[in-house]
Amino acid sequence: MSSFVNPTLLWGLALVGVPVLIHLINLLRHRRVPWAAMEFLLESQRRNSTWIKLKQLFLLLLRMAAVAAVVLLVAQPIGCNQLGRFLGGRKTQHIVLLDDSFSMGDRWANTSAFEEAKKVIERIGDELSRQPMSQTFTLLRFSRAGRAADGSPADFYEERVGSDFGQRLRDRLAGMRPSQRSVGPDAALRAADGWIDKEHDEDRVVYLVSDFRAHDWQEPEDLAKTLARLDSAKAQLRLVNCVDAAHANLAITALEPLRGTRAAGAPFYMGVTVTNFGSDVADSVTVVLQEDGRVRPSLTIDRIGPGESETRRFSVYFETAGEHTIGSSISSDPLATDNLRFAIVDLPASVPVLLIDGERDQIHARYLAAALAPGGAVKTGIDPRIESPSYLNNKPLDKFQAIYLFDVGHLDQPAIDALEKYVRQGGGLGIFVGENTRAAFYNEKLYRDGAGLFPLPLLAKTQLLVDRLEKGADLEVSDHPIFRVFAGERNSYLAAVSVDHYMAAPRRWVPEATSTTHVLARLRNQAPFCVEKKLGEGRIVAFTSTAAPVWNNWARNPSFVVAMLELQSYLAPPPSLDANRVVGAPIELQIDPGHYQSEVRLLAPTDRGSTTADGDAIPGESSTQVTSAAPHESGQGMRAVFPEATTSGIYELQLTTTDNKAEVRRLAFNVEADEGNLNTVGPEELRTRLEGVAYEYHDAADFRVNTQDLAGTNLSQWMLYLLVAILLGEQALAYSASYHPSREGARS
Amino acid sequence: MSDSKRFLHPEAIKRIARLDLRARYIVEGFLSGTHRSPYFGQSVEFAEHREYTPGDDLRHIDWKVWGKQDRYYVKRYEEETNLRSTLLVDVSGSMRYGSGAMTKYEYVCTLAVSLAYLLLRQQDAVGCIPFDETARSMVPLRTKRNHLQSVISALDVSEPKQKTDVHRILRQVAESYPRRGVIILFSDLLTNRPGLFRGLQLLRQRGHDVMVFHVMDDDELDFPFNGPTRFEGLEVPEFITCNPRALREGYLKALGGFLDEVRRGCRRHTIDYALVRTSDPLDAALAAFLSYRLRMHHRA
Repeated sequence: MSSFVNPTLLWGLALVGVPVLIHLINLLRHRRVPWAAMEFLLESQRRNSTWIKLKQLFLLLLRMAAVAAVVLLVAQPIGCNQLGRFLGGRKTQHIVLLDDSFSMGDRWANTSAFEEAKKVIERIGDELSRQPMSQTFTLLRFSRAGRAADGSPADFYEERVGSDFGQRLRDRLAGMRPSQRSVGPDAALRAADGWIDKEHDEDRVVYLVSDFRAHDWQEPEDLAKTLARLDSAKAQLRLVNCVDAAHANLAITALEPLRGTRAAGAPFYMGVTVTNFGSDVADSVTVVLQEDGRVRPSLTIDRIGPGESETRRFSVYFETAGEHTIGSSISSDPLATDNLRFAIVDLPASVPVLLIDGERDQIHARYLAAALAPGGAVKTGIDPRIESPSYLNNKPLDKFQAIYLFDVGHLDQPAIDALEKYVRQGGGLGIFVGENTRAAFYNEKLYRDGAGLFPLPLLAKTQLLVDRLEKGADLEVSDHPIFRVFAGERNSYLAAVSVDHYMAAPRRWVPEATSTTHVLARLRNQAPFCVEKKLGEGRIVAFTSTAAPVWNNWARNPSFVVAMLELQSYLAPPPSLDANRVVGAPIELQIDPGHYQSEVRLLAPTDRGSTTADGDAIPGESSTQVTSAAPHESGQGMRAVFPEATTSGIYELQLTTTDNKAEVRRLAFNVEADEGNLNTVGPEELRTRLEGVAYEYHDAADFRVNTQDLAGTNLSQWMLYLLVAILLGEQALAYSASYHPSREGARS
Repeated sequence: MSDSKRFLHPEAIKRIARLDLRARYIVEGFLSGTHRSPYFGQSVEFAEHREYTPGDDLRHIDWKVWGKQDRYYVKRYEEETNLRSTLLVDVSGSMRYGSGAMTKYEYVCTLAVSLAYLLLRQQDAVGCIPFDETARSMVPLRTKRNHLQSVISALDVSEPKQKTDVHRILRQVAESYPRRGVIILFSDLLTNRPGLFRGLQLLRQRGHDVMVFHVMDDDELDFPFNGPTRFEGLEVPEFITCNPRALREGYLKALGGFLDEVRRGCRRHTIDYALVRTSDPLDAALAAFLSYRLRMHHRA
């Protein structure tokens, strides 16, 4: 069996009747010749009539065949490559990989990248359904490629293509939308590689219908390897680009609490970052903010340069403890999916801070406690707890957001270990020295040549010898979050701080350039005053003087309160990583089986009003999912797992305590920020990156299914030879059947 | 070809409307090209004297002999004893075919009249019998110059019919002309051949010298037709619709057989035979005739 490149031209086969028609017309239009020598004519006819009729019939058939050959030549018949295909034993395997990452939602004019992709696939389906040979069709979306556990992630898998296939495919595509996931072609290509039946000799065509965003092709080595494997499996690779050009796009790429104390009743800062993925400057970008669904004053970012990100912080205040939602949005642009971002902040009633004071009267701790929690109408959300050094020996420290040591003369080894562990796990440690501070202990146990908690070696208590008449501040601070609030010449509070004594560091000590130790503030004589060190996930900030106004008068200066609150914010652990849940990840919740029943209900966001890429309604109130938590693999607690989050927004997990009280946990899922970058890889760049891989590159608008390649060999050339042979045969036969006068033309 | 002969082509002759003028033009043109013709004058040479018998033309009495011997003797010349030519002209339907300047009918008429003119000019007696299914008329043998008009008017046959029985006509001629003479048949011979040969044989048996001018059109000899054609019989009611290219070979073969048969038949009966195309110059036929006469004279 064969097919045609231009099957519509086959209507031209009706022209085969033209020679017959001409013959009939000629019969009607014959000349009449009165003839004398009829007897010879009659005799000739009697003798030759059978042969003549056969000859003429054959001539007529040849002429009809010539017309048919011309029509077939123009229609370009596609013959199968091998005899086996003629016998129906050879098939063509078509694998279409459809990019449904949310960047495919890129809209322009009245279309979108995804709509263009669907049109391309529809064209493929229509063309294949017109092909008579044995074919199978597989359609896989990028977002589903990784679902190995689901069995058959493909929308069509090895589907035999029949005449109605085009319509079935069209129906299926009609319900498809871009997903909100950010997935590259890698998984889909690997899946295609796995599906190709390499043992059987069959034709394979792999179509990669995508928007070819630059971020998906940043590291094309793996992709090139997979493509090379497909290439070596003799699969024809066709890359179809569905976007006409890179469009400008603004995206909210971050919405997260800034580092600092977050507690109920105390204001804290959130940061929202808007990235301009376009090539033009974006002016006056308005960010609409919501707190627990209530619209709050919006932010305006005056200018975002091309390719730049601008972060604005805004103050958030929640009266009550618990989980609160914060939403942000910007006005619509070509890609709407990344114009939304959500965050959950879980506010405690207060933030516990542990203050360990080596002095009996705990005067240093009291000063800091007063600074962190002034009391009265002023709420900082910080709950300072003052303890003696022995508290560190055997008490859990995890619940404290920061721990401060004041004038601690000695710490037991368990306490040092506990503190080190606490810091390494992300805790913040502030250390002030004092009269009890012994340099030998600090250097041996806490500094440990730079490996311990204390950031610098100490020598001894030293008096700051300065000429007080000489104008100048005792403290010289660097540009650091703790002191940044004092930046600016007008602020003279710090200038009023006077330091009498301090614990000196060795004269030649300077932090190693490669270490995480930095001097944040120095005394007038350049001796270190405030030194920072990072250890593990945590931070340590050490002061070489007292907190209380013993060796200095800082605690009496208003700048002390400000600096200590900033110090507390700096030492507080970073915002929970939970804030960065990405669409496509499974919805998981760890629960305590002793406190909660195993049944967990999931309510997905319903306010988006969109559908998932699957074409299914987003599970909302009416489609609440219920699952039973299963024991965690580690043996600790239970874990409730729901399938992946398909859309961005706030997901609610409803729990029931063992005493039948309902509790709600909220999880924010956001789209991958980088997917909003609509820059594409051009064909030339792609060629460079995929060097050595044979492929065809098409733009969606120009893409036409090449039926020649689908079916095999274009028989046009053979048809041309056949036509020439027919015409030669016709001429020979016509010559033999006609009279050719040697000089004068035949009478007609 | 000499200039004079160029004007003897049928195309040129066709332009002369009157048949007698045509004949004169042809013959004079022909004779002007034959210098010192060996035939000229033979017919007027003195042969013998014979005693006058009533009925003889008084113009032929030799008065010199009467003056010497007082007896009436008449001179006998060659022309009187040599030629009594009867032109047997086929004017049947099949002769009406013509693809060139003249139809076969026109051609044979021109040829016959030219020959009559030549003969009459040489004082020979000329008769003429146009025929189709029957003899349309019988012009008696005469030697007068104005006898040419009788021949011309006899040849003017408007409604041709098919020739059915040539044998009957030839027999009729044989009976009508008991004296030996020359019978010149102008025909396409598309007729019953056995009958034709029997008739010719009869003429020969009666002592006539017979000459056949077999006149055929170029189309009939070459069959150069192309394209769908319906051939309708001029003498038969049949027709054939065909592609003539396909039938040509068979036609020419059949025609060749016919010509061979005619040629053999004539040879068998010692009949002079000349195949004449209607595109041939008309003097060719005259030349053939004179050549024939020379042979006849030598035989005699």
